[in-house]
Amino acid sequence: MAENKQILDVQHIHMQFNTSGVCVRAVTDVSFTANEGETIGIVGESGCGKTTLGRCIVRAYQPTSGKVMYTTREGETLDFLQIDKATMKKYRKEIQMIFQDPYSSLDPRMTVLDIIKEPLAANFPKMPKAEMERRVMDIAAKVGLNTTYLKRYPHAFSGGQRQRIGIARALVLNPRIIVCDEAVSALDVSIQAQVINLLHDLQKEFNLTYLFISHDLSVVEYISDRVGVMYLGKLVEYARTEDLFSRPMHPYTESLLSAVPIADPTVKTERIPLEGEIPNPANPPSGCYFHTRCRYCQQKCKECAPEYREIEPGHFVACHFAGELGLRGISYDE
Amino acid sequence: MALFRKKQMAKDESYYLASQWTLMWRKLKRHTLAKISLAILLVLYLGALFADFIAPYGLEEFSSVYKDTGPTKVYFTDENGKLCRPYVYKLEKFNNRETWTVEIRENTEEKYYLDFLVEGQEYKFLGLIPSNLHLYGLVNEAGEADRSARINILGADSAGRCIFSRVLFGSQISLTIPFVSAAISFVLGILLGGISGYFGGFLDTAIQRVIEVISAIPSIPLWLALSAAIPPDIPVSTMYLYITVILSFIGWTGLARVVRGKFISLRNEDFVMAAKLAGVSDFKIIVKHMVPGFLSYLIVNLTLGIPGSILGETSMSYLGLGMKSPATSWGVLLKETEDLVTVAQCPWKMIPLIFVIVTVLAFNFLGDGMRDAADPYK
Amino acid sequence: MDNDTIIEIKGLKVNIKIDEGTLTAVRGVDFEIRKGETLGLVSESGCGKSLTSKAILGINDKKCKAEGEIMFDADGLGRVNLLKLNPIGKEIRSVRGKQISMIFQEPMVAFSPMYTIGNQINEATLLHITKDKAKAKEISLEVMRKVGIANAEKRYDQYPHEFSGGMLQRALIAMALVCNPKLLIADEPTTALDVTIQAQILELMKLLQKDFGMSILFITHDLGTVARMCDRIAVMYLGRIVESGTALEIFKNPQHPYTHGLIGSVHKIGTKKQERLYSIEGTVPLALNLPAGCGFYERCRRRIDGVCNVYDPELVSVGGEHKVACFACTGCPGAKEGGKG
Repeated sequence: MAENKQILDVQHIHMQFNTSGVCVRAVTDVSFTANEGETIGIVGESGCGKTTLGRCIVRAYQPTSGKVMYTTREGETLDFLQIDKATMKKYRKEIQMIFQDPYSSLDPRMTVLDIIKEPLAANFPKMPKAEMERRVMDIAAKVGLNTTYLKRYPHAFSGGQRQRIGIARALVLNPRIIVCDEAVSALDVSIQAQVINLLHDLQKEFNLTYLFISHDLSVVEYISDRVGVMYLGKLVEYARTEDLFSRPMHPYTESLLSAVPIADPTVKTERIPLEGEIPNPANPPSGCYFHTRCRYCQQKCKECAPEYREIEPGHFVACHFAGELGLRGISYDE
Repeated sequence: MALFRKKQMAKDESYYLASQWTLMWRKLKRHTLAKISLAILLVLYLGALFADFIAPYGLEEFSSVYKDTGPTKVYFTDENGKLCRPYVYKLEKFNNRETWTVEIRENTEEKYYLDFLVEGQEYKFLGLIPSNLHLYGLVNEAGEADRSARINILGADSAGRCIFSRVLFGSQISLTIPFVSAAISFVLGILLGGISGYFGGFLDTAIQRVIEVISAIPSIPLWLALSAAIPPDIPVSTMYLYITVILSFIGWTGLARVVRGKFISLRNEDFVMAAKLAGVSDFKIIVKHMVPGFLSYLIVNLTLGIPGSILGETSMSYLGLGMKSPATSWGVLLKETEDLVTVAQCPWKMIPLIFVIVTVLAFNFLGDGMRDAADPYK
Repeated sequence: MDNDTIIEIKGLKVNIKIDEGTLTAVRGVDFEIRKGETLGLVSESGCGKSLTSKAILGINDKKCKAEGEIMFDADGLGRVNLLKLNPIGKEIRSVRGKQISMIFQEPMVAFSPMYTIGNQINEATLLHITKDKAKAKEISLEVMRKVGIANAEKRYDQYPHEFSGGMLQRALIAMALVCNPKLLIADEPTTALDVTIQAQILELMKLLQKDFGMSILFITHDLGTVARMCDRIAVMYLGRIVESGTALEIFKNPQHPYTHGLIGSVHKIGTKKQERLYSIEGTVPLALNLPAGCGFYERCRRRIDGVCNVYDPELVSVGGEHKVACFACTGCPGAKEGGKG
């Protein structure tokens, strides 16, 4: 399903926040690539910087340094973070976002029609009103909203319906990349499945590229073609989904996978305990950020930071001993 | 949360199509105390608007006989104890030959009947139509308007003027100054609070410090200082303007803080970021998403701020720093009750105070109800 | 009801007064919990699982009215119906917090930021066990060590903001266990936590359960944690229990279409990816003016018209512990089998 046409090349993103004199590194040196029509999952625990990374890529935040190389429809490659205002206006609409909270992401004072129409009005001020409404109707029908209810306000809709509205708003500009920041986390299981199926259908229809940020490993495993694992602002492992889940190469990925609760009482996983707590990102440990909690930690890990390198084709790991540890993943049954 | 969602689902289509303001209004309607307060305020404001018509006497119309007299007695029964048309007796000065003092006493010879739409002092209805009709007044036996007897339903002051009429005229000032000053505060508050919240940085710090300094100054000395700056011999209308400005000068600080806080919290809302990502301009985001987001809170804040202004104007005038005779406000009326002797002998002179209390309470209750309704989505 | 059962709930109903009328959020729930077992109460939001647990403790809102029977084997009171006790009386207070305690979803909210953690854990000890402050501190410290709070002496004097989410949840568990309760109600105890912390807390709870010999009522929407934690499972939908049985029965042989849908909606890591996830159409309706018949009728793929929208199914045993409330699974009253899976 994934074509080998690269659409996004994220290079060495750094994001620092300075709050009252303390410098917090939310994202440190993150690089990865994405192909058109692919879903990239980004997992990690709260505070690992995955949301910040997503916002840097859509340029809601201006990263401290780094590049987001974006390949346009015409095949031109440009740095999304550096382009000037006029060019930005042209490409802004091609990278959109779906938010986590279906309640705070819709302005309660606007009707659903206005909410979905707003991006159109902002980008195509000359478009006739009827044409705009026709487009809104089309997209609303595509995401499974009842178009007779578009004059209603968001408070008339349930969480799942609201999330569909958010999806419609992101889609109406005909984007190519959508950053889904915990897009299904706030929903109930059965609604989650509906929305995931919808995202899946839309991807096929519009050849969308998703950056799917979530803490839920089962959802990420289901939806993603490639997965990146973040820890304390760094991307520690990045690989094709099956590779990452069956043969993890970073000790953090290993413990993360062992902790996933599986909805099957006969599966008894032995958890690989993760000692201690996530260190303060304002004051990260020396060497490898993970060494304070790693059970394979050696002297070398405390002293120098491991390089993020390609161990196998398409399998990137930031660990000194990647490939040597024989880590346990999830056994796939046929 | 879950419960609220359930509640929403129970509503009908009109609820789904209801905008924020409709929802707020619906919620306010359920607040009984706020509803009653709203009705009371409506009556008070109508009273102020039609003061010339409702008041039986003009602002300065006095009668020396009626000096310091209490509410005029109205009789509903005639000498035989039979129910009849309400009437009053005229008060007359009477020399008591035994004590050699002048006494005021009812002259029971002549009856003056209470009637509606009676001719009296001329005025301009709503400032436009000249008229001399008053809502009520006295007529003699012949049915002609008679100004020699008076009906002071709330008593008379030390100059023999009708307190009820004066309360009505006073309300024209006491009830409007807060609104005008609130409007000025509103503009100042949104402007400075908005700048502070949206731009942040140095401007924010500077404005916040100014607010802190202003709110640290005790209000009465500040009034003293500011009203000392007003020349004593200026016309009433200019005086009115000055007082309003003084009051709003203090009032805007609280509002500016609210606006700033709301700006900052709304700036971080997901829907604002969504609009930004969709390429909506900053100005449009402010106008379409942020201002409507806190407008309801502002109105609530204003409503809750009005009682402060009313009390402010009243106390200033009471202290002799605000309105001065011949202009009348509730504070000016209360100035008459400065000494205890008057309060003891003429308790009806305290009546304007009741109006102040009722108004302040009504605004507070209304504000309370509006605060509950301000965010219909939570 | 045998001697093993410590709490038995029969026909529990919870009504909530809202502007539009009375909403029956819990519509007749029956279950029992035995000594030392963990019962998982699974459902989506708005199905009444939290109200059920709050009814047991009598801590529901004033707007909620609970009726039915909650028989609890209380020390010092014998077998009593908790709903019959005065909600602010002495008796219920001797049960609440001491014999039945509860842990909440948001540990950050459950603690007051104004007092030290030790102080707050002590509160329960001082109330129920001993009046001696030194002794109470001893007991609290011991429980804190048991729930795996390292450096308990130092932690005892710290404030909630100095604790991480996981540590705070441990402290909350310590607070719940300090009186050695017979029943622990855990309302989504790990939902707000990260996966690795979640796994730690679940393991801890299992360990402590053996240690303290208590029963746990585990309320969650997360099938993963239920599979890991629970001996028996009750699936709730729209204020009713639609299926109950052992964990194995529920996961390996789900009968009710809702349970089916719920399990199908979650992708299991390590299994072949389906092209589409199984999903249940629609959303949970509002429990106000519900039509007759099964609550799941509208969303059901196996509904039998003329039966499911007329009669209300009862929980019927389909073998051993396994009970289902569905006509499509157990046969219809006076009607032929119809509909397809």
